[in-house]
Amino acid sequence: MQVMLLGDSGVGKTCLLTRFRDGRFLSGNYITTVGIDFRNKVVTVDDTPIKLQIWDTAGQERFRSVTHAYYRDAHALLLLYDVTNKTSYDNIRAWLSEIREHANEDVVIMLLGNKSDCGTERVVKREDGERLAQEYKVPFMETSAKTGLNVELAFLAVARELKARKSDNPDETKFNVQDYVRQQSQRNTCFNSSCLTT
Amino acid sequence: MAAKESAVETIDDGIAEPGIEPGASSETMLVTTDSFDEYEQEMSSSIDGDRQMKESTGSTISEIQEDSTQDIPISASPQESGKTLSLDDAEMDDVAHRLGQSNIDGDPLRCKAWLAQKKHIFILSQAGKPIYSRYSSEDKLVTVMGVMQALVSFVQAGSDMIRSVHAGDTNFVFVVKGPLILVAVSKTLESVPQLTLQLTYVYNQIISVLTQSQLNRVYDQRRNFDLRRLLTGSERLIDHLLNFMDREPAFFLGAIKCLPLLPSMRSSITQTIIQTCAKIKNLVFAILLANNQLVTLVRMNKFFLHPMDLHIIQNLVDSSESLKTAESWTPICLPKFDSNGYMHGHVSYLSEDCQACLLLLTVDRDVFFVLSDAKQKIVEKLRRTNCLEAINESMNKPTITTADIGLPDMRHVLYKCKSTAQFWNPGFQPPYTTDEEIERLLGLYQCLHHRLHSPSRPLKLIFQQLDKETMLAWVASGFELYVTFEPLVTKPDAIEAVSKLLKWIKKEEERLFILNSPTF
Repeated sequence: MQVMLLGDSGVGKTCLLTRFRDGRFLSGNYITTVGIDFRNKVVTVDDTPIKLQIWDTAGQERFRSVTHAYYRDAHALLLLYDVTNKTSYDNIRAWLSEIREHANEDVVIMLLGNKSDCGTERVVKREDGERLAQEYKVPFMETSAKTGLNVELAFLAVARELKARKSDNPDETKFNVQDYVRQQSQRNTCFNSSCLTT
Repeated sequence: MAAKESAVETIDDGIAEPGIEPGASSETMLVTTDSFDEYEQEMSSSIDGDRQMKESTGSTISEIQEDSTQDIPISASPQESGKTLSLDDAEMDDVAHRLGQSNIDGDPLRCKAWLAQKKHIFILSQAGKPIYSRYSSEDKLVTVMGVMQALVSFVQAGSDMIRSVHAGDTNFVFVVKGPLILVAVSKTLESVPQLTLQLTYVYNQIISVLTQSQLNRVYDQRRNFDLRRLLTGSERLIDHLLNFMDREPAFFLGAIKCLPLLPSMRSSITQTIIQTCAKIKNLVFAILLANNQLVTLVRMNKFFLHPMDLHIIQNLVDSSESLKTAESWTPICLPKFDSNGYMHGHVSYLSEDCQACLLLLTVDRDVFFVLSDAKQKIVEKLRRTNCLEAINESMNKPTITTADIGLPDMRHVLYKCKSTAQFWNPGFQPPYTTDEEIERLLGLYQCLHHRLHSPSRPLKLIFQQLDKETMLAWVASGFELYVTFEPLVTKPDAIEAVSKLLKWIKKEEERLFILNSPTF
């Protein structure tokens, strides 16, 4: 299963992945990805191990031509913006049209508003993210690579969805990633006072 | 500063074996150059910029892709040498005054600390748009950059090219390349050719990120394009490169340092890479770096790597922490190899327990997984043959000093072998233990280097007693040598020590240098 992380430069793609894969937060230095980084992680969904091959892409414009070439092979795309950076949110539309152009039609897309722990610096409201997600009919949640909020869930939801699609079991194909995310992320965010739940 | 220069014969006579050339080899994997070739090319090419650019449109990368058997077309560079522009004193004072004025006026960033920086680097477009400044945000410097652009275009209007302006202890050096203007404002002792070389490196770093053709294209489409958009995230590469050049002699020497390894180990590593990668089409270079020193370099038959390109690669590796945690697939343009196209690099560290960085460079954009497999195999084999251990051991070993070699009068040395474009230096020992002292020492080497290679009056040998040390610099047919002695060393003792040193390097040459040039 190939999962690709997309979004503007500096929204926290590498940090999100490091949190998921190694359980730690890359603080301090701003680490720029050069081109595409490849990492593997095995997750377990309902006792079935699923190997996720995660492609962490560089957000900078100059790497676009390289990353485009890999869109088509991706089964799932995690599209990130930074809730403290309005431009990164505004660019999501451009990202989505790029995805339409280059990726497979049935690719799983999930929109993530990262850095949700930055309470006072926040400029993009949770509702804005939700509205955008509804418009494009993609699941959405806010994440924080720093606190770990919803990070595991984002990847697991994708893995679950991919597994359901592959499976012939009619029960499992009914799995709806949007509902799943809605239930799970609300439950998670209840414990976190700094994030508003709707 | 008392300088005594002695005749070449003295030292040649003093050395037992005058023919000795440690590290020399008829085989080389690197393009050998005099580091000042670059300067001369610079001088001629920027006068005749358009012509140069047209000549270099042949693409090495597409050539490999086409699997063609023809040799690389050698572009003849125009030979006429550039003129140094001389302003008369009054004009110069005026320029300096105006630059000084605009620095003080208005801006909070033009504070004392900023002005006191030893070496400023600025990049702007020919239209005068700020692109980069080393010590402050470039958009605060619109007016200063406007002055720079005005100076350049004023001289250009007379079909000439501004090279440098000298005011007191400050040198203003200009390089105009393609659509960009690069300026160094330096209070260091570095010479104009050396600063020009550094600016050329900065330009090459930008080309490495964007390619020459993309750079030209964006400016052809819009003269007032804001290049910072395309360079986002790459400023740190330029920052790092500038700091790197301040502390690494490799750049002004135009040479590469190798990781010391037993020849049998090195050859085993090389063979492993060759065997594993032999069947991979379109793989052009395999480069293994440890502590930023070269462990091995395997190349595609008939293609060579220029030290300048390898320095750009070293800069990328050294400044990208993110490479340590994952396998990367990255586009990289090697300006000397082919300035118009990207190579694709599989970049990864060998393993958690062996922090050497392997780069597999290809012209094929779809072979990531092939190279990823190859890398796994290489690491497994290297582990089985104890090569990882050997690399680690060499990386962790404290660098040998001249005291260890048994040369008490000698504090430090730079030895460059000309035929292989490789150099060696021992570890620093007191008094060169602080950053300041090391920088001062490198500055002294650079002065000597400049005097040996001065375009107007090159020297073969310099023996110079300074306040804190005595320095010797010597260009022989096969090597360049820069030695730092205790200040009170006598000439005969110095010559004897040099002779002893050369014998030691000769004895160790197989460990310190790469004497063959392996190909796939």
